[in-house]
Amino acid sequence: MKKTAGNKIKLGIIVTASIAFFIAAIYSIGQRQQLFSTTFQVSGVFKDISGLQVGNNVRFSGINVGIVQNIQQITDSTVKVDMMVDERARKFMKKNAKAIVGSDGFIGNKIISILPGSPGMPELSNNDIIETTQPVNIDEILLSVKTTSNNLASITGNLSIITQNVSEGKGTIGKLIMDSVLAQNVYQAMINIKQGAGGFKQNMDAAGHNFLLRGYIKKNEKEKDKAKKERK
Amino acid sequence: MPTGLENKSETVAVSSSAYFLKPVKAFFEEVTAITRFAFRFFKELFMPRYELKELIRQSYLLGYKSLPLIAVTGFIMGIVLIIQSRPTLASFGAESWLPAMVSVSIIREMGPAIAALIFAGKVGSGIAAELASMKVTEQIDAMEVSGINPFKYIVVTRIIAATIMLPVLVILSDAISLYGGFLAVNLKGDISLHLYFSQVFQALAFTDIFPAFIKTIFFGFAVGLIGCYYGYNSAHGTEGVGKAANQSFVYGSISIFVLDMMAVQITSFFI
Repeated sequence: MKKTAGNKIKLGIIVTASIAFFIAAIYSIGQRQQLFSTTFQVSGVFKDISGLQVGNNVRFSGINVGIVQNIQQITDSTVKVDMMVDERARKFMKKNAKAIVGSDGFIGNKIISILPGSPGMPELSNNDIIETTQPVNIDEILLSVKTTSNNLASITGNLSIITQNVSEGKGTIGKLIMDSVLAQNVYQAMINIKQGAGGFKQNMDAAGHNFLLRGYIKKNEKEKDKAKKERK
Repeated sequence: MPTGLENKSETVAVSSSAYFLKPVKAFFEEVTAITRFAFRFFKELFMPRYELKELIRQSYLLGYKSLPLIAVTGFIMGIVLIIQSRPTLASFGAESWLPAMVSVSIIREMGPAIAALIFAGKVGSGIAAELASMKVTEQIDAMEVSGINPFKYIVVTRIIAATIMLPVLVILSDAISLYGGFLAVNLKGDISLHLYFSQVFQALAFTDIFPAFIKTIFFGFAVGLIGCYYGYNSAHGTEGVGKAANQSFVYGSISIFVLDMMAVQITSFFI
């Protein structure tokens, strides 16, 4: 008789424990899906939801505040997404808050991030439709990267031809760098220019002391001084 | 004019077709017999008198006595899953996904399937052997003579006990597996119990929990039904006891896989 009672207690314990685990699991999942908290609904109209599904998280400032409740195609290019958001987050969400479809990490699920609006604006109301921002599509990024890489390939191709021509002494720059005779001529020309410039300076100094030009030079100096004084 | 050669080839054709048809025919006869046995169970289930005391006793014997085996298996399963999955996830730099991965694997599939197979091995074959030995020793006939409905007292109580206790055991096994997973994650990492279970439940949805729970009810019913059928209908004396236990485990395991496949198809149809 005692043994039977003991067995019943043992059986009761394992059944109770399993029911407790089951309820705890349901409560934990339900809490994550906002089933046991007060919520309000907001919607957003997107052009592309990038594979967002019902049940995906809604985040505000990096905190999970709700879930995607319903997704509905309303026209050929727009999708309406209803979100169930925790009532406690409402006071931080302003009328001009924006929703954007993002991703939870590189390989994670899709999420909706709500960006807070301006501080002076009123709070969101139930069933409000908030603004949305089109996310940067990975395909668009890849297309842009492809165009850039095509341009780069073209540039490096041209550069390769130029450097090859230069190394072969073709063209002006090639001759300038690779032709030793031309380099010697250029060097000699530079020496001649330097000498010529020295002689020219000497001539100009001599001309400054000539009585024919002295008046003109003094007049120019006076005008410069006058302009300086006026500026001060 | 018929020749002797034609008659010979005809005989070979007939015997080969009979050779292949015989097991098919036997299989369908077996399925029909089990179905009739199941109908009898449902008929007896709703008719008084209700053997509640025997049901509780059987629940204790089938459920509580199987708990240590299923708990140890579940615990090891949780550890092994984490240890085996870690290198693959680490190569993607996704070790933080271990709790999510282990929870979905265990709750959806591994937990119910492994626990049900162990249940079929321990309980299903045990029921079949017990009932077969009762049949051999004419205890079932003695019950009928003494005015007790043996089907109601022996079969109905055991099938109900198996149907109720397997889901209970699977829930406990899942919980123990998840805890085993927590310990295994901490062998090479550092994660708090709170964060671990937070990530576990983050990865789960009601569509993971309820189909898994419902299919364990069917697994329990199948194990109980097949165990009782082969035990209750055993023949050939003591030799039949071993045969009944063996058949109960084999067909019980197959029925678990078939039901599992059906459950997956039905679940994916609705989700």
